[in-house]
Amino acid sequence: MIRVKLGEFLRLPSILAGMGYSVVVPTEGNGVTKFECYSPDSAIDLDYVRAINAPRDFLLPDGERLYRYRSTATVTSYGLKIRFPTVEGPCPVTINAEYTAPGGRLAFFAIHPCHANSIRYLDRVMLSDPADPYYKARREGMLTVVLECEEGDDYCFCVPAGSWRAEEGYCDILVRRSGEWFLVQPISEAGREAASKLNAQEEDAGSLEGKPPKMKSSFSIRASEGEIDRAPAEGLDSCTLCAACTVTCPTCYCSDIEDRFNLVDPSNVERVRRRMSCQRKCYSMIAGGTIFLKTKEERYRWRLKHKFPFSEKAFGMSGCVGCGNCIAFCPAGIDMRKTVGRDQG
Amino acid sequence: MKTEENPYIPKSATVVAVKNESLETKTLRLRLYNWRAQFQPGQFVQLLLPGVGEAPFCIASSPSDQKHMDLTIIRRGLVTIASHYMRPGDVVGIRGPFGRPFPISRMVGKDLLIVGTGIGIAALRSLILFVAEHREEFGEVDLLYGARFPEDLVYRDEMKPWAEKMNVKVTLSKASPEWGGLRGRVTDHLGGVVRGGEQVAVLCGSPMVMHSISAELLKRGLKADQVFVSLERHMKCGIGKCARCLIPGGWHVCRDGPVFSLDEISLEAIGE
Repeated sequence: MIRVKLGEFLRLPSILAGMGYSVVVPTEGNGVTKFECYSPDSAIDLDYVRAINAPRDFLLPDGERLYRYRSTATVTSYGLKIRFPTVEGPCPVTINAEYTAPGGRLAFFAIHPCHANSIRYLDRVMLSDPADPYYKARREGMLTVVLECEEGDDYCFCVPAGSWRAEEGYCDILVRRSGEWFLVQPISEAGREAASKLNAQEEDAGSLEGKPPKMKSSFSIRASEGEIDRAPAEGLDSCTLCAACTVTCPTCYCSDIEDRFNLVDPSNVERVRRRMSCQRKCYSMIAGGTIFLKTKEERYRWRLKHKFPFSEKAFGMSGCVGCGNCIAFCPAGIDMRKTVGRDQG
Repeated sequence: MKTEENPYIPKSATVVAVKNESLETKTLRLRLYNWRAQFQPGQFVQLLLPGVGEAPFCIASSPSDQKHMDLTIIRRGLVTIASHYMRPGDVVGIRGPFGRPFPISRMVGKDLLIVGTGIGIAALRSLILFVAEHREEFGEVDLLYGARFPEDLVYRDEMKPWAEKMNVKVTLSKASPEWGGLRGRVTDHLGGVVRGGEQVAVLCGSPMVMHSISAELLKRGLKADQVFVSLERHMKCGIGKCARCLIPGGWHVCRDGPVFSLDEISLEAIGE
């Protein structure tokens, strides 16, 4: 473990960039904290409790191009005309999908333990057999610098959710703030290499163990499928279906895959993966217009079921890391803790 | 990373024949270009129409022909309507096959009841052809097919050869006066085909109808692990990454299904 002052600690992103990583840092702007790609003039914010986006937006970017192919669509005076490529005899024309695997290694600087756990959840989802090749390519060689939280805000519940500790393999450098000092504990080999480039003001023999942050509320989560169905769901009348809960959630990964092309060159088609929200009706629509999740309440409960019982069953861990983003950014103030939380004492 | 490892990349196929089944339904016969599909009855593929989009369809042909694939498509959405404009020679993309097939090993040596309603029969045709090819391995086989109007019936010319291999019953809920066959809903005719014992029942149809048939079969004494349903969801990826096909119980229809037995899922998961 080494001790460094703030100025020295803020050199770490440029050290990581020098090691060939594309570094993602929390930046402050317009009153919110947002993860952005590092540049030397980034306004890095280390005091943040809550960020409006999450590592997910870099590992599974919205609008990611899966591949590109040529179609035979043309624009005519009356609109878009799609003619399917037609051949005679055995097929010499094929759909030639062109794609390049995403390159580069990602480094997340000063993410919180809940973010590290959200990456762990996404790994379970995306790397389960068969692995998602795009996610896997982005994920490979990733480095995380985890900054511990001292105290959560009104919405945090990572201690009840059990995700306050960055698990092994998801934390290369663990950092704790102690007064004006930063205690830096490299954990993995890549982390040691990066930390050795810091000019340590002081070496410390002790090692850093995870410490749970202070929580403003304490409760236990009870979220089986039946319990979510029976639990009260208050304030849903004022839900505006803005889907901020799923947009800001660090573990929401539901997606839609669609063809995208512009009308100037409609034959150049991209298959694009876009984020989808279970709060929208079309999420559960099948051919012919049957919708399985018809009401706001069903969709609200569906989100919680996907986070808790479904994820436990399919991936062996809870999909909620207790960051509280879905509560903090909800314009209607809907609080899912009232549905899944049981007060202790 | 090679293309073969990327499950999102489609393989090519050409349309070799288009058959009009009914006013709204066509069967596309596809020849797979340079690859073979090893599939089993009940699995599905993602059909990509270049420039239009992708949609999942159950394979409707016999698994013994690995060079060809039949997809029976009813016009309902963007991809399905576009597919009705396809002509022989057109090139399409195919991903798959995906999913868990019908449990043939559970059916061998036992009585089999196949219930299809509406376009759901398309998902069962692969199983029907498989059973017809291996008829001696099964006990009594009943096929109960329900539709609304006489014009909605598909595979009309195939019912006769099937009837030589199995007991085929076709019922129409909104039959015209000329209709000479059974009338009424499928649930009205289950009495004659539920044989009890070790019989295995396989269902496919619209969610609401499957829900009522399943409830009726359970009421008539079939156990939950004897009834298999093939569910429909709009899967986008086919490999459990997009979570569009989650159903109550936490199953992914694309990866864990589309075939489920009723002891795995609740009746609510089928729909209502």
